[in-house]
Order: sequence, then C-alpha cells, then structure tokens
Amino acid sequence: MNADLKLFHDPPEMFRATLTDARQRILVKPVWAAPLSHPDKYLALLDEKGEEVIMIADPATLDADSRAALDLELGRRYLTATIERVLTIDPEHGATYFSVQTARGPRDFVMQHLQDNALWFTPTHILLIDVDGNRYEIPDTRKLDPASLKMLRAAL
Amino acid sequence: MTATVDSPELILPDRAPGTPLLELDSDLTLDGRFGSQTLHITSTHVRVTAPDAAAPLVDIPVADIASARNESLVGGGRLEITLKNTDIRPVIAYTASLSDRFSEAARGIEQLAKGEPFSIGIKLQKIRCPKCGRLLPERDGHCPACVSKWKMIFRIGRFLTVYKFRTLALAALAITSAALHLAPPLIQRQIINKILIQHEDFSQMWTLIGLWTVLLAFGAAVQITQGRLIAFLSAHVIADIRAAVYRAIEFLKMSYFEKRKAGAIQSRLTNDTQNIWGFLVDGVPFLLSNTLQVLGILAIMLWTNWVLTLCILSPVLIVMVISSIFWSRLISRWHRWSHKWARFQSHLTEALSGIKVMKAFAQEDQENQRFIAANDGLRHSGTDADQYWSTVFGTMSFFIALGMLVHFAVGGWMVFHDRLTIGDFVMMQVYLGLIYGPMQWFAAINNWFSRAMAGAERIFEVMDTEPEKYLQGNNAHPIVGEVQFENVRFGYDKSNPVIKGMSFTAAPGEMIGLVGKSGSGKSTTINLICRFYEPDSGCIRIDGIDSRQLSLQDMRSQIGVVLQEPFLFNGTVAENISYGKPGAPFEDIIAAAKAANAHHFILGKPDGYDSQVGERGSKLSGGERQRVSIARAILHNPRILILDEATSSVDVETEKQIQEAIGRLVQGRTTFAIAHRLSTLRNANRLIVLEKGEIVECGTHAELMAKQGVFYNLVKTQTAVNEIVGVGNA
Repeated sequence: MNADLKLFHDPPEMFRATLTDARQRILVKPVWAAPLSHPDKYLALLDEKGEEVIMIADPATLDADSRAALDLELGRRYLTATIERVLTIDPEHGATYFSVQTARGPRDFVMQHLQDNALWFTPTHILLIDVDGNRYEIPDTRKLDPASLKMLRAAL
Repeated sequence: MTATVDSPELILPDRAPGTPLLELDSDLTLDGRFGSQTLHITSTHVRVTAPDAAAPLVDIPVADIASARNESLVGGGRLEITLKNTDIRPVIAYTASLSDRFSEAARGIEQLAKGEPFSIGIKLQKIRCPKCGRLLPERDGHCPACVSKWKMIFRIGRFLTVYKFRTLALAALAITSAALHLAPPLIQRQIINKILIQHEDFSQMWTLIGLWTVLLAFGAAVQITQGRLIAFLSAHVIADIRAAVYRAIEFLKMSYFEKRKAGAIQSRLTNDTQNIWGFLVDGVPFLLSNTLQVLGILAIMLWTNWVLTLCILSPVLIVMVISSIFWSRLISRWHRWSHKWARFQSHLTEALSGIKVMKAFAQEDQENQRFIAANDGLRHSGTDADQYWSTVFGTMSFFIALGMLVHFAVGGWMVFHDRLTIGDFVMMQVYLGLIYGPMQWFAAINNWFSRAMAGAERIFEVMDTEPEKYLQGNNAHPIVGEVQFENVRFGYDKSNPVIKGMSFTAAPGEMIGLVGKSGSGKSTTINLICRFYEPDSGCIRIDGIDSRQLSLQDMRSQIGVVLQEPFLFNGTVAENISYGKPGAPFEDIIAAAKAANAHHFILGKPDGYDSQVGERGSKLSGGERQRVSIARAILHNPRILILDEATSSVDVETEKQIQEAIGRLVQGRTTFAIAHRLSTLRNANRLIVLEKGEIVECGTHAELMAKQGVFYNLVKTQTAVNEIVGVGNA
C-alpha cells in the first residue's frame, strides 16, 4: 500500500489522486476488482484512459479523509441498490414483480427468468438483475426481517 | 417522463432561445437516491431542476460547453458535460432503465455546443402498463396481466379452424360424454327402488342392466373417439403453432436475439407450446366435460332433494377455498423446483462438455462438489414441493370424506324417517363421488389456464414482434458493388454508440481492410453492411441507393460471408457448400470446392462430398470447415464479400491454402476484410483504421506504414509480439 496515496475531490465533482508527488493530481475512477466475492477489498484506480494506476488491496487502510472521499465517489459510481426490506413479491404470468425498500429509497422492479437473473454468490448473498439491467443486492439474507425472508424464499 | 412533444420519435428542430427543446425526467438524484430530477435543454442553457428545489441544481450556458457524454456507471449512468475550461461537470444521474434517453440528450447537447441544429431521436417507450400501472417486463411490450384472455383463446382457437369438423365433433362428444355419466346413477336408483325394495317385476332388471350395458359400451366408444380426436387435434394444432412461431423467429431482427438467451427463445418453441398443448389436451376436455357434468349432477341432485344437496355440498366450499389458497403456494414450490432443475441440467451439460478441461486440471473433486450442491438443491426443492402437495391433498381428501359423512348423517336420517328412498340415497352418494373430483380441481383450473395463457402470450409476443422487412420492398437491385457510409452512427445499447459518425465509400470491386483494436467497431461495421442492424442515424448506400429501400432478401442474396468460426449445418459437405444456392449442379459444387482448395481433402474422406460434417461441422478440422465455408461463398457468387478473421486460428500451411482460395474469391467483388494478422491485408486496396468507432486513418498499406501513425504502431506492436512468441517457441 502506498502511504503517500491521497484521494480527494477537486472541484467537488472531480475525483483525484496523488501518489508520490503531491503536485500530480491525476483524475481517477475507482473500480472494485471483485465487488461481490471480495466486497470492500481490491479497489483499482483507473486513469482517464482506463489504465490501472494502482490497486488498493484494502481501502480501509487509507487515511480517513481519503476514505471518505472514496466512499462518496463509490456511492456515485455504483448504483447497485442494497435491499433492506421486501414489501411484496408477485410472481405473475412469467414475470416477477418486486416492491422493495433499498438503501437508496423505495423501488419497484420486474424480473424475468429468475434462474438466470437471480445470482447466488453464497447461500445468503444474492444479486437480482431486473429487465433493464438494474442491480439489487442482498448481501446477507439472514439480516432481512422474517416477512421479507419468507417472501424471498417463496419466490426464489 | 416529460417531453416537449407527445411523439414516439422526438426529433426537434431548433427553436427560439429560451424555449425548452427537451425535458427529460431522471429516476435518480446525483447523490444516488431514487428520486426525480428533470433535465431541461434550451438552445442557450442546460439546466437540472428538482421538485423540492427552488433554484436549478445545475445551470450551464451552452456557450460554455465543449462536449457532453453518457458516463456508464454500474447499474445506470450519468450525463457529464466537459466545459471549455476542461472542467467536467456531472449533470444528472439515472438508472439503466433510462440510459438510452440520456445518451441521446448528451448527443443533442453536443450538437448545440457545436452550433448544429438540435436533432435527436428519443423513443418514448412505455415502462408501465397504461391500464393497470404494472411495470412492463419488456418496454413497449404487452402487460401480461392485462392481455385479454378471451382474445388469446380466440387466437388459439383460430388454429383450430383448419380442423373445424373435428373440433365440432369433439364438442359434441364432450356433451355426450357428460350426459352418459349422468345416466348410470339414475338406473341404479330405479333398480334399488323398484326392484330391490318394492319387489316389482324382476324382468325389468334385465332391461335396466341391458340399458346400462349399452350406455357403458356407448360411453367407452365416446371416450375412445374423444381421446383419439384430442390426440389428433392437440398434436396438429401445436405443430401448426410451433411452425408459425419458428417462421416468425426466422424473420426477427438481430437485436431481438441480442437481448435474449438462445435457451429463452427455444423455450417459446418447447415449454410454452407444451403448456398450450397440456391445456388443449387436458384442460379443454376437462373444462368441457366436467362443467357440463357438474351442472347436470347439481340439477338432478337439487331436483331430487335440495336440502340434502345443500348439506352434503357444504364441504365442497371448504375444498374449493383450500384449493384456491394453497394452490398458488404449491405452484411457487413447483416453480422453484423447475428453476433448480434448469440449473442442475445446465450444470450437468457444462460439466460433460468441459470434461476434458476438468480432467486436464484435475478438478474432479471440485466439480463433484458443485454437482452435489446442485443435486442437493434439487432434492430439497423436490421434497418440499411433494411434501406440501401431500399435505394439501390429504387435507382436501379429509373434507371430501367429510361430505360423505354428512351424506350418511343427513341422508340416513331422511331415509330412516321415510323422507328419502334408499334408491335416491344411493344415487346421491354416487353423484357425490362424481362431483367432488372435478370440484377440487376447479380452483386449480385458473392457474392451469393462466400458465397456458402465459405461454400463449409469449408465443404471440414473438409472432407480433416487428420482423425484419425481409419480404417487403420490391426494389430488387442487381448490385454493382459501391458501398457508401454516410455519417453512420450506431450502438447496440443506444446509450453507448459503437460507430460514431462513420463516412467512407468503397468502389465496386475494391478490397477494404478494416483494422483496429478489439472493440473499435470492425465487426459492427460489417453487421451494418449486412443489414443485421439499421443505423441509428446516417445512411448506408449501395450503388447510391439507401440500403433501407432495397429488398432485404434480394440484397442479402448478393452478400457472401466467411466468418472466423464458420458455421456448418449438420448434413453433407455438398449440402453445406450449396447452402446459399440450393439445387446447384454437382459440377458447380465441385468447381467451388476446387477454387476453395477444399476438393482435395473432401476426396480424401470415405464418402467424399457425401461425408457428414457433424453438428456445427464438428467432424471437420478448423481449416477444413473454413475451406468449405469459402466454397459456399464462391458458389453463392456474391457481389459484396465479407471476410471476418477468415484465416485466424489455422496453421501456416492451411492459411496459405485459404489465402489462395480467398485470392480467387475476392476477384471482381467488393470485399470487406477483417484480419487478426495485419500482414494478410497487404493486398487490400485500402485500409480503414478504426478507433472507438471512428475512422482515424485511411490509405493503402504502404501509405499508412509511411505515415507512421496508428496503423504503423499496430503493425509494430504485432511484429514485436510475434518476435516474443518466436523467441518463446525457440
């Protein structure tokens, strides 16, 4: 891990990094290498051409300011919504209609072909992909309330 | 969504300053929460407003804008504007559902920034059903919940009109069958009341038993005829539906296949038609016979003793309620089981087809673990569904038996007090047995019916999808060979253009080499020439005629394609060579094979030109497959020829033979070639170098090498790689 690495926004919309030379403030794009199998680990910073500038094995080791800036940028780039509660799941006529509460707010979506679009990474970690390609993640089904879990089990 | 015009195609001319040219609602806020913000584009400003904000969140004068683009994010996108001072400003975020609209908006902003007229095309596709408000599984598609079931039945019924006499006969037999089921209990009553209890003339017994025998024999004949008719009709109707769906699939646009897995399309031909078949074979006769039978029985029972009838039928209501409550839960368990089964099957197929790799990496144990996991999932879901079914069925059986108890309690009391004859009692008991069977399944019928309707709906969705204009257009044009791209723009995902304003002209007979890194747009250019896709904007002209005005069938019949992975159909070598020209004389097939340097190896096979090539040509080597595909293209005699990496993945000697064959093939035809080895394009008249969907260089091999630009660097890189490979090999 590069101890001189600093991450920050300047101006507020542009995410930048400095490596060894603090005067070099390069524009970077943070990309998780394996967001589902290794969440919160292995973060790559890509430059404007998409080339890797550095791989951060454990972003938790960054200083607090860099980490805060990184979290803000990741929130902007990763629009996968984490499902906190399932309100309804209606399997009807070959489609499955979901109404959920996510960390980004309430959302309705529809899925088809559940066997292809509900991806289980572990027996408790699921990624749902709706008909438009929007992604909804349940990192740990055990943390859902019983009613949500029951509906999910019945549907999936 | 808000837009300034209510039109499916939004193409707006320039307007007075300040007038909104476009207003688009997003579904995300810039901090990533689900919510609404609106993008307003005028000829002077780009603004973003939010319902709860008094002032615009973003306000950028068009005069300050250098460029605009759709930045792809994970699960959505963000419209970003680069200012003339090189600052990048995020403007508005949206989910993947709206990416294509905002990509077009970005294009419009760029037009304004460059001082061009604002001219974009945004399709205002329906996301929700206008009738019930449900999200649509496919944009602009049908709402499965609102599709009229009657319309659907009528459409399926239209397939029956071909067999109308048999259909009418089936309906008549169903009515007869229902009537015949009603008669035996009436005879039983007569025997018990008149002969066994009142001891009237015993000779009547023989008459009644004779009548009963005739009814049974007639009933059996009706049942056999009915069964044979159902078998005939269902098989024929489903074959007709399958043929119609297959024909419709053949003419679907490539974009349709791009969005769907082959398995999902296949399932329309197999599972969905199977669902309809099941409904026609089991459901329709069940509904016809049993509805009539139940109505008839109810009428006789009520007429015989309405009080007893109401008493003994009271548990029927309970059975129906149980059935309707638990049936959907049972169905969801069956669904889960079928999903697990599909996964299990796909795992098994994958494991068997990759068994060589598995052995090579000694991964038997790991694969076994994966198999066990899939097998366990299947076992668990199967056990769960079957146990649930046993519980529901057992509960229903209890209530059915309860009906019998009520019959004995109330009916027995009536017989004891001379309010009901024993004959009526027995008859009611028999009818009770006949009525409970259909009753417990009636609640399930809705679901049964829904599944068949869902299948029908998916099938009709394919049949109703706009096809390629294959059979339309009478403009048959003998192609000379000029191909012109005129500011062509295209993207598979409309938010992410792959070809950006491409323009060039290929003269008749010219060989054009398309060069560029992977993802630069080479294959897409070829897809557009073949009209597998239509440009989003701009125009492709063939001999000066807009290709969209040409008959697609006629045009494609004059285009030949040789792909990197040639696809051969299961059949003989000769059949594959003559695929594009069925019925070609055998001499022509041989001549084409000779020109393709394939004749020699074909003769080396025991069955020569009659050798089976196997599924996808699996019985031939890569080089042999390629030469057969070249022979196919030669025999097809196209005016425009596409060579897509035709010489890659073969050894040097085979490549030499293929190159020779290609040399003969390209003579006098306009040829577009993509080649992995850039040196093989040395003979091309011109090379077009692509980068990110744009032409960056154009010229002959020698000119581009002398220029020392992008192509020169590509060649140098490839030479260096080859040298490294050479050293490695040494």
